[in-house]
Amino acid sequence: MRPAWTILRSIAIVATATVAVALAACSQFEPRDKRFYYRALWNFSLREDLAELDSEFNGVDFGHSNLYENLLLTGGQDVSAIEDRTRQETLAFIATKPRLNPNEEAIAPTYMKLAWRAQNTFDEAHALHRATYDIAVSDEPDKDRAIQNVLAYYKESAYAITSKQLDHRRLDAFPYSKAFRQRFPLFNATIWSYHYLQVAVYDPLLAARDLAAKTHAVRPILATYRRYLDQPPVEWTFMPLTAELSPQFAARYPEVAHIFDNLHMLHDNISDILASERLPTWEAKRAEIYRVVNTYYLATADATNPMIVRKDGEHHH
Amino acid sequence: MRWLLCAWLAGLALPAQALDHDNLDPNRPIGMEDAYAIPKGEIGLEGGVRFNDRRQGRTNVTFQPQIIYGAFANTQIEIQGDLFTDPHSLVGANKSGDLHLGLLYNFNTETLTLPAMAVRVEADLPTGVNSKGVDTQVTGILTRSFGRLRVHLNGGYTVLGSPQGQERSGTYRAVAAVSYPLGYPGSFRDTLIASLYTRQSDLQGQRNHTGVEIGLRHQLTSRVVLDGGLGTEFLGPAERAALLGTIGVSLGF
Repeated sequence: MRPAWTILRSIAIVATATVAVALAACSQFEPRDKRFYYRALWNFSLREDLAELDSEFNGVDFGHSNLYENLLLTGGQDVSAIEDRTRQETLAFIATKPRLNPNEEAIAPTYMKLAWRAQNTFDEAHALHRATYDIAVSDEPDKDRAIQNVLAYYKESAYAITSKQLDHRRLDAFPYSKAFRQRFPLFNATIWSYHYLQVAVYDPLLAARDLAAKTHAVRPILATYRRYLDQPPVEWTFMPLTAELSPQFAARYPEVAHIFDNLHMLHDNISDILASERLPTWEAKRAEIYRVVNTYYLATADATNPMIVRKDGEHHH
Repeated sequence: MRWLLCAWLAGLALPAQALDHDNLDPNRPIGMEDAYAIPKGEIGLEGGVRFNDRRQGRTNVTFQPQIIYGAFANTQIEIQGDLFTDPHSLVGANKSGDLHLGLLYNFNTETLTLPAMAVRVEADLPTGVNSKGVDTQVTGILTRSFGRLRVHLNGGYTVLGSPQGQERSGTYRAVAAVSYPLGYPGSFRDTLIASLYTRQSDLQGQRNHTGVEIGLRHQLTSRVVLDGGLGTEFLGPAERAALLGTIGVSLGF
């Protein structure tokens, strides 16, 4: 009996101490809630069969996190730090053609501590992006079913972005909106170039019949993307939309397309929040990021979300 | 080649997924861990070989097969069974062939004000050589980052279910460790880990084993992480380790 009592007592002491410390700072107490990807035989098809495209997406992962970390650490005011140094770091990483996706917590350790809930929301949506590329590249015979399966898995997550069409114009009209693109037009156009690449490849990948054709089909898009990295399309006034660049994919999988557009809009919102002096403290930025995510983006808010478009009609950039 | 891999994975009913080389688990490669569980749904197969070249007595080699499963949100369960080359000379909780069951629960992610916190509970079932009684262990874990440097504190207590001879009925263990991603911003494949630890000796009347370890985890592919580590104990009983070494591999599915 003695060992059992000692064990219980030890567990109770450790648990009580841990919970006490946690409750003392419960305003920032949040679960990690990492979830594994949807498991299937087509996992990593893009990485294994079309590494030329996969490595670009690995570079995109670096770009988002590196931007957020540097916006946070510089207060969003230092134009040279973002447009020159941070952007060049990102371009240098992309140029290495990384074969694996980077560890984003090592890139943005401060941002991850500030807004983990938002990051987990990104991670889940990025996993959906990756899964749909893998399916498109793979020899999976029933791609419709595979995409519906990963969509269903995605929607099970508490961090799933709504699959409804959101009013992106209204989501781009907060008091701090456009702060990022106005102060950092080069990096903003670079971000939109990432989003161009991410959505423009769907139609060519799904239309091509075999791997050789898929590889050939994405080359012009990669060439355009690389040209955008060299000369960012600062003349764009709005982010690229899936329905404009991959209309067949958007028509066939409208929920997935909406999720990706909403994801990209959320990226813009968070860039604006981190860049805006209207939210001068880290605590204020964190509170606004969480308010926007919880109120306007997560599927759990669908019943009350005022940004959901109730009839068809999307804006164009 | 890919089809061979797919067939193997299908046979296991465990198709592949990515592994995180920055998520630190005990013995991979050194005796410390961070406060994070593997993602819900992930399965990890881990294995390693560890040698302990003692200042007195024969060198011991340990084989460390382990299965980890992200069974629930923020919770991983582990099944392990260490096998030693010199099983009859062992004292303490971990006997050769014991079935080791563990559960790690992560309470929270790290934020600007809070470290990540976790608790681990473990039980060694007496299935091994000269093993009696169920040994149990509880460990508290904290992880706090400072920039890219992460600091980890582990504090644990082990209770022996049926101590033999001069074996202590319970022993504590404390570890302070740091981990750092090497290669930033050009590469994200390697994590360096170093630790300083002390643990009560297994036998009464002996000094604590106190030592240092250093290790590296390398992401080889999306699914495979390699690890290697070295260590030494500079204080402790006469048979304390002169040189510890570990190599291992982890597969994530």
